Amino acid sequence: MKRHTAVPSEAAQLPVLTQFLQEFWSAADLPPAETVTFELALEEIFMNVVMHGSPAGRVPRVEVSLALQDGRLTLMIEDDGPSFDPLSLPAPDVTASLEERRVGGLGVYLVRRMMDAVSYQRLRGCNRLSMTKRIREPTP
Amino acid sequence: MNVRLESIGLTTVAIPEGRLDFGAAAGFQAQLEQVLAGAGTKSAGVIIDCAGLDYVSSAGLRASQRAGLAFAICALKPAVREVFDVSGFSRVIAVFADRATALAQTRQPA
Repeated sequence: MKRHTAVPSEAAQLPVLTQFLQEFWSAADLPPAETVTFELALEEIFMNVVMHGSPAGRVPRVEVSLALQDGRLTLMIEDDGPSFDPLSLPAPDVTASLEERRVGGLGVYLVRRMMDAVSYQRLRGCNRLSMTKRIREPTP
Repeated sequence: MNVRLESIGLTTVAIPEGRLDFGAAAGFQAQLEQVLAGAGTKSAGVIIDCAGLDYVSSAGLRASQRAGLAFAICALKPAVREVFDVSGFSRVIAVFADRATALAQTRQPA
């Protein structure tokens, strides 16, 4: 099963993308407990593009696709903004006290920890982040 | 997201309901700051009761963090608990199983 959508990189589009994910979840009859990882990944990566990957005067286009195969779900988020690899961000020190923590990098860190695999490619002028997690046993 | 506030002695219990995502984070932070500012010089505490919270993202974690350090959280659902745990926040914020335990633990000595 595969679904695809595209939105401008604007904060107001976040609920639209969340609904896109939730509709996929119902249609594919996926376990509710597993949604959090994908809802979180969608918000963190999309909002990174909105907040940090959108140059003044131009709103990048963000394409989101979901593909379920053999019990593994892949979320792919692609934008035509300036080249940026979110996986190059240093991991935050999650053992630091709240006062010592620096802002930034936390969202991407959560995504890396909660997904099974995350990869970045710069492809045809676009940033492509691909995130995969096994969410149920493959049907024999 | 809807947030209810209840006062129990010197402690304020904030009860966010629904999704604490990017869109809800700024409003939640403002509400917490208002509560903390209203506490004045008294050593009041804030407990965030998450029994009705279905989802939190890094924006929601940061809103809670920036609003001040004088708080405890309780009653985390599994999906929210996972984000608090992976982020390390549940190691630096006091986390309690339910509101009664949080109130008992954070009560100021008379």
